[in-house]
Amino acid sequence: MAFRLFRFRHFSRQLLLLLAGLIAVVQVSVYLLVTRANQRNAREHIGQNLQVGARIFQSTIREQIATLAGSAKLMSNDYATRQLLMQEPLDRITLKSNLNSYLKRVNVPVITIFSPEGEPLALTDYLLGTENVGPFRYLIHKAGEQDMEQASDFAYLNGQLHLLVVVPLFAPYPNIAAWFGLAYPIDAKFAGTLKEITQLDVTFSSTEDGARPRVLASTLNPDMAGMIAGYGAARTTSAQDIRTVTLGGEPYVTLFLPLPLLGDDPARIALQRSLTAELAPARELENVVLLISLTALAAATLAALWIARGVSQPVQQLAAHTKLVAAGDYSRRLDLPREDELGQLASAFNHMTAGLAERDRVRDLLGKVVSPEIATQLLQSDLQLGGEEREVTILFCDLRDFTTFSERLAPTEVLALLNRYLDRMSTIIEQHGGVIDKYIGDAIMALFGAPVAAADAPARAIAAARDMAHALDVLNRELAAEGKPGLAFGIGINTARVVAGNMGSRTRLNYTVIGDGVNLASRLESLTKDPAYGTPIIVSEATLSALPARPPARELGEVQVKGKAKAVRIFALTAKGESTPPYLP
Amino acid sequence: MNIRRLPILFVLAAATLAAAPGPATLTIHARSPKGEPVADAVVSLHPLDGAAVPPPAAAGEVAQQNQEFTSYVTVVQAGTRVVFPNKDTVQHHVYSLSKAKKFELPLYNPGQNESIVFDTPGLVTLGCNIHDWMLAYLVVVPTPWFAKTDAQGLATVTAPAGRYRLELWHPRLSAALTQEITLTTATTDQRDFALTLKPDRRIRRGGATKSGGYR
Repeated sequence: MAFRLFRFRHFSRQLLLLLAGLIAVVQVSVYLLVTRANQRNAREHIGQNLQVGARIFQSTIREQIATLAGSAKLMSNDYATRQLLMQEPLDRITLKSNLNSYLKRVNVPVITIFSPEGEPLALTDYLLGTENVGPFRYLIHKAGEQDMEQASDFAYLNGQLHLLVVVPLFAPYPNIAAWFGLAYPIDAKFAGTLKEITQLDVTFSSTEDGARPRVLASTLNPDMAGMIAGYGAARTTSAQDIRTVTLGGEPYVTLFLPLPLLGDDPARIALQRSLTAELAPARELENVVLLISLTALAAATLAALWIARGVSQPVQQLAAHTKLVAAGDYSRRLDLPREDELGQLASAFNHMTAGLAERDRVRDLLGKVVSPEIATQLLQSDLQLGGEEREVTILFCDLRDFTTFSERLAPTEVLALLNRYLDRMSTIIEQHGGVIDKYIGDAIMALFGAPVAAADAPARAIAAARDMAHALDVLNRELAAEGKPGLAFGIGINTARVVAGNMGSRTRLNYTVIGDGVNLASRLESLTKDPAYGTPIIVSEATLSALPARPPARELGEVQVKGKAKAVRIFALTAKGESTPPYLP
Repeated sequence: MNIRRLPILFVLAAATLAAAPGPATLTIHARSPKGEPVADAVVSLHPLDGAAVPPPAAAGEVAQQNQEFTSYVTVVQAGTRVVFPNKDTVQHHVYSLSKAKKFELPLYNPGQNESIVFDTPGLVTLGCNIHDWMLAYLVVVPTPWFAKTDAQGLATVTAPAGRYRLELWHPRLSAALTQEITLTTATTDQRDFALTLKPDRRIRRGGATKSGGYR
């Protein structure tokens, strides 16, 4: 059913659709495959980069911790600071001014000193108050309990994410005289440095205010950073997690990594890279592929049109030519100078046209030379011409005294008169389904039931004989009017099984019948000359017997036929005297 | 305007002094190649004719205030006692590792007055052990005839007439400039110096007064 939707009236469109469609399918498939592969590769590549980025972040943090711890250890061994710490009572203001000096030395914004018990002794005034020392005290407690030479962790100071390190001041080792605490901010500058190394966008976010996420630091613009902070914030993941996040309509492959934090507030780092940016080089390739695809499609369309034209034009020519031939015009010839199948077809078509013309010509000629029935049978070629035995009714018709008649007329007049006569008689015979076997001078030999068998052949022959007699009367009246002498004929009719077929040499054949029955018919015709019989038409008993309804007939007696033991009974078609025309039964 | 008028004032002052026989006056004008005045340039006159040099008259002072030395550059004659009063709210630990005088004044409290005699001429760079940004220069010269340029880059030295080696020093000058100069009684001489200074590399003070730029 679906096929019917696409019915093509033009081969060219079919070919066009096929070629262009195939090319389109191939190109679209290639394009889609390339795009998909690029996307997958880009994602994988970004994923790897993100993991590398995460490791770089972790390693940076480890290095930072080592640096801070090293700085703190150096500070803890500073002689002047030890002097200050030795004083009783402790000069906290001077100690603080001393710590400010260290800020520059170790390049951190926050330095604190705690007593071995965790009591804050001095802190640089970046910290607004002692409420911020909680995370330090927690770390000191942890380090003291676990007997560690340093402890570090992420924590919030004034709501800002920091990396904290605490280191003991040994005086002497392993006696802890004080604790140094350093804080390194995880801020926009740190994120920027990380981005410089990893080429990834970095966002630190927290969800410390319950469900409301907060951006701690980011290399993204505030809107995008806010979206990243809010992305899947409710979900708590313990391990790193790679997802594609759409920010401002652009897909970003993002790695979320939770940060171990003091206290309960979760924080995480999100590393990301724009898929679009990563795909930018691949996009160029895709565009080239697309361009090639479109070019190929256009080329295929042109090629299809060209090929279709090459095919459909000769086909249209052939179709037009076929119409002409069907209408009976055999004179035209196709002119297709091509070597391919179409050329062969055109050549074959020309041969066919020539053959048809020849056959038509032969049929015309044959109809004139032989009777139309024989001609038809010959042309149809289903006639067994090898000779067969069949029942045939033979009619012989001969003019009386034509020799003496012809002596009184000029030869041309004789022939004209003869043809006039023969034409009328032949027409009547053919009208009754008889076949003119041959003309023998002024005599006619006609067959009924051959070559085409007919059940009512005897009746046809008799009807033809009657009409012929009538036609002769008509002709005689015409001749009398023309002042010419009249004609008389005799007809003999016999029905017998005879041999029918083509006889003659290999080059020249005649369809005819032979046998005793033929001779008898000829004999019967001769008998009409005998005045004793007084009839122009003599019919054998065989013919009369073959009629379904026997007509009135006068028996003329028996004749001895040569070669036959039994005599043959003959009849005149007229029941009464000679005066009655034979055509009036 | 002031700068242009000042020389005229000095000329007038010199004219007044010239009336009675007395010392000569030398005016120094220190500028950068761009014409900006250079302060804290030390000029000293060293007699070349073996003239007698009077002993140092007064004591010098390098105070600590608001966790800084005051002042940044101090010039004293060799043999001068210099007091280091702590006028601050925190303790200080002043020291020097310079060849001319190595010393330390261990942590001392506000209100205390420590003092040291500087005998050897030379440059003494002062620091504080617990405040890295604190820096001062004590220039010890073997002559009583010295001066330090002010904010306008001007300094005036008054000395007896005679032949001198003029030395010009500045913390950011790669080497001291010297030249011979003859001062005539009751005259005023003026010398202009174009000083090419190195970048200022003092430690910026962190923390104490600022919140560190965070929040």
